[in-house]
Amino acid sequence: MTVNTTGSAVDGRHFDVIIVGSGWAGSLLARHLGRQNWRVLVLEAGNGGTDTWEGFQDTVRTFSAAVVKASNAAYRTSAAAPFPDVLDLRSTGPSSYTTSGHFEQTGPFPYAGDYLRALGGTGMHWFGAVPRMFPEDFATRTNFGYGADWPVTAMDLERHVREAELLIGTAGDGAEQHRLGVVADPEYQYPMEEIPPSYLDARFHRLLDGRSVTDKIAESAYTLQVYGLPQARNSTPNPAWDDGSGNPYRPRGAVGMPNFGERCVGNASCTPICPVQAKSHPLRLQQDFTDSVRLATRCVVSRVLPGRGGTVRGVEFREYGDPATPSSRPYTVEADIVVLAAHSIENAVLLLASGMANSSGNVGRHLMDHPTLLAWAEMPANDPVGAFRGPGHTSGLECFRTGQGRRKRAPFRIEISNWGWGWSTGAPLSSVARMLGLGGDANGEVRHGGYFGPKLRRDLGQQVNRQIQLQIAMEQHAERNNRVTIDPARYRDGMGNPRPIIHYDLDHRVKDGLYAAREVSKAIFKLLNATDHTNLGVQDDGSHPLGYFTHTPGGDLPPQDLGYRGPGHAAGTHIMGTRKSTSVVDADQRTHDHPNLYAVGCGSMPSIGTSNPTLTMAALALRSAERIHRDLAELHQPVTVATSHLAGKRAAE
Amino acid sequence: MTTMYELAQQDYRQPKDVPELRRYLQAALEVEHLTIPVYLTGMYSIKPGTNAYAYGVIRSVLLEEMLHMTLAANLLTAVGGKADVSKFVRKYPARLPFADKRVPEVRLRHYSPEALVTFLDIERPQSFVPPNGQKPTGWTSIGQFYDAIRRGVTDLEQAAREQEPPSTIFTGVAGDQIGPRDFYNSGGEVFAVTGLKTALLAIEVISDQGEGAHDTIWDSDDKIFGEERQVAHYFRFNEIHKGRRYGRHDLPRTSPSGPLLDITWADAYPIDPMAKIEDYRDSPELKTQAVLFNKTYAKLIAVLEKTFHGRSDLMHHVVPLMVELRDASQRLYRNPHPNAAKAALGLHASPTFELTDLFLAEGRTYADELVARTEEPSQLRGGGVLPSWTRPH
Repeated sequence: MTVNTTGSAVDGRHFDVIIVGSGWAGSLLARHLGRQNWRVLVLEAGNGGTDTWEGFQDTVRTFSAAVVKASNAAYRTSAAAPFPDVLDLRSTGPSSYTTSGHFEQTGPFPYAGDYLRALGGTGMHWFGAVPRMFPEDFATRTNFGYGADWPVTAMDLERHVREAELLIGTAGDGAEQHRLGVVADPEYQYPMEEIPPSYLDARFHRLLDGRSVTDKIAESAYTLQVYGLPQARNSTPNPAWDDGSGNPYRPRGAVGMPNFGERCVGNASCTPICPVQAKSHPLRLQQDFTDSVRLATRCVVSRVLPGRGGTVRGVEFREYGDPATPSSRPYTVEADIVVLAAHSIENAVLLLASGMANSSGNVGRHLMDHPTLLAWAEMPANDPVGAFRGPGHTSGLECFRTGQGRRKRAPFRIEISNWGWGWSTGAPLSSVARMLGLGGDANGEVRHGGYFGPKLRRDLGQQVNRQIQLQIAMEQHAERNNRVTIDPARYRDGMGNPRPIIHYDLDHRVKDGLYAAREVSKAIFKLLNATDHTNLGVQDDGSHPLGYFTHTPGGDLPPQDLGYRGPGHAAGTHIMGTRKSTSVVDADQRTHDHPNLYAVGCGSMPSIGTSNPTLTMAALALRSAERIHRDLAELHQPVTVATSHLAGKRAAE
Repeated sequence: MTTMYELAQQDYRQPKDVPELRRYLQAALEVEHLTIPVYLTGMYSIKPGTNAYAYGVIRSVLLEEMLHMTLAANLLTAVGGKADVSKFVRKYPARLPFADKRVPEVRLRHYSPEALVTFLDIERPQSFVPPNGQKPTGWTSIGQFYDAIRRGVTDLEQAAREQEPPSTIFTGVAGDQIGPRDFYNSGGEVFAVTGLKTALLAIEVISDQGEGAHDTIWDSDDKIFGEERQVAHYFRFNEIHKGRRYGRHDLPRTSPSGPLLDITWADAYPIDPMAKIEDYRDSPELKTQAVLFNKTYAKLIAVLEKTFHGRSDLMHHVVPLMVELRDASQRLYRNPHPNAAKAALGLHASPTFELTDLFLAEGRTYADELVARTEEPSQLRGGGVLPSWTRPH
């Protein structure tokens, strides 16, 4: 059970470990260290309450009532612990944008992702995709001549990845992932059987498997093969799973309500919220916290406090009562070890605001995301695919993620959307609006020809049923100038904490990748006999989409309209490495500059390949938990000075 | 006639041979089913969005009754029997078998204090029933009935093992059992009954969840399924009835003394507990909906029977039927009763949960069609060969 405390109750006290943030990384660490009997304090900046049934239902209702079903739509805004929203950004022209809200943005392109400050963190609104990284993703510099290498390999992380897959609760097909090349062991079993792929996936299998597509940018032909996606979603327990105990895997139920927590039944709202809690979230792990773990919500850490000789002493934080106002009280709390697990961007802000861990000058640098190109099309009238059934995507095309093509362009993973034109056009609501004739034309005039009643229903059934969409996520490699900075003199939130200033850009590798992805999408739509409806350029109402640009990789390739969306896989703001001069943390996510300060999360990742980063991040957190346990155990050993002194005395006698 | 009423007319005793044990287990299945329409009516008649706590509690008990029914079916299958849904209660009000004679007939009541009294009658622990001077048969509670089954199973298995050569009463096909693959996180999980140990565990789950373990207000899900500690059915219902949670020091015989609950009895659709399809004969639309509800209900029962007969993979077809049932119930509850006098009393139309031979036969035809059917609805079939994972099991 989670033991809650308050900021005022822990003021001035000392713990073994303070963990800043209660998302996946923080919850995994607290769970692990609590079980080893360390006294752990978890400080969460955001609001709590979702660990009760009523509180969780409140977020479901907030989502249901939201006009725009964006990824933070299930959560109310907070003046005390503000967080970014994808709706903060607005396009103002073919190559310009404005932003409001938590971020300042100074780059030529917007960083288009968000995150959530709430109990469970962004792990509450994530989609739940947990694909593994390819072994080659860990050394792009060595293998392909770009980006930064990891100080560890896939094999080094294997044990922790398996543990993460178990603790997060993963459904997948081990044999298929082995064939894909991300799972080394051919006998590997996920705890749950794969989420049944959609009918749409079956059509893609049928029409695409074994077919060939040429990528002119990579100068290479690729053979298509549809693969299932491992997901953190309850499905059927895998009878072949075996942890040696003889007990079957028991899927975790809902938090705050016994007798609830179903398997995925296709509510089709995974992002931001699964109403039946089939999608895993960090509150499940918090249910396992031992009594030695204390958790306080509404406590915003403002600074890490310096200790003696390069160590840190604890943290300073402010506790608020009402999220609608930043009114709050300051407290401090101390610990032997401080762990920042507050999201890569917030971790960077905290380190910068504390003036810590930055001897390399790399704190906040190397910000990465998976810029995602959307391409959408319509299947023929005699081949409806049943869009909007099941999780957002259950299968993908993986062949463009690996190999020598990476030397020419960014690699990419093609997600096969189960939710029609949802991400690109706001379908199915936008489909209804279009048929009704809502919205104006480019001149602001009322549109004509709208209709309703049986014809509307029939047309919706016929058209929405045929919508397909490819969500093509690029690897973005670490670049120094994509960065998070702060400017406390100018940009602060209501509580007085500095807001993140983001400078974000796409380099030519990524742009070439987006170009290649668009070309590949055209070829795939042709193989599917689908009619391409992708429009990344000027829209019906005369506006340009966010992230719009035109680009040619050179040669005789014509320029074309391109664009991207930000899935918010922020990474790389405190990258790990072996050298103090070029990296912020070591392979255990301990800061090079401070022996008892850890910065954990996607911020530590030197590259993110084309895999949604949560699984790898979780594995890293488990690895750090082992190291922190060793550090703490060492701290509690008898002081050796006395022993040698006595030994010396005995020798003298 | 249903098996449970036949048994309840006999004198209290434990089953004396395996055929009789099968009759007891068929009766157990019928007993568990009997409660489900009663609780469904209590839950569905709550106005949407209100009484969230009570809704959740009734739902949790319903899930456990479904679990009990499935475990009873597993027990029956394990000893070589075959579940028969045609013996289920076909109309309400219905008598509660094995209960003390003073317990009134069980009616389908909307969410109200009276409904909760009915729920409490159903779940009343054995030890709460005061001695009755005039006990013609000796049955006092469902808990006592399960106790008879438990002793019967134990003694019969013991006797079978002592035979020469030793044998067992668990002669059912193991593969016909429903397991956690098809039913979990719903008041615990279903497990296969394959021998004495699992059989006794199944009986323990059924009686502890209902009546509380060993004279406490707590059930034993935390012990058996690793779930959150939870008070047993009777006490959960008593919390709603009294409008208060149990406090940490409350005992089985004390009234709940914990925090107040958000119980608003007015947020419900009042109904006529004696309603029958025939009452709607002058309102064709309502009659159509009432018939549709009962046909859907019969389909659900028939598909469940198939799952009990070794086709546990069909369980996922039961889920959409339950959703249909919920929607069909709302179409009735949201209309005033067609009889002007009853409407004037504020009564609404309601599902009647009547089963007929005809409805059951139609339901069984539907279940047979499911067995023959491919996985995807026809409007989605694109022609062409589907990959192996889309094949029916």
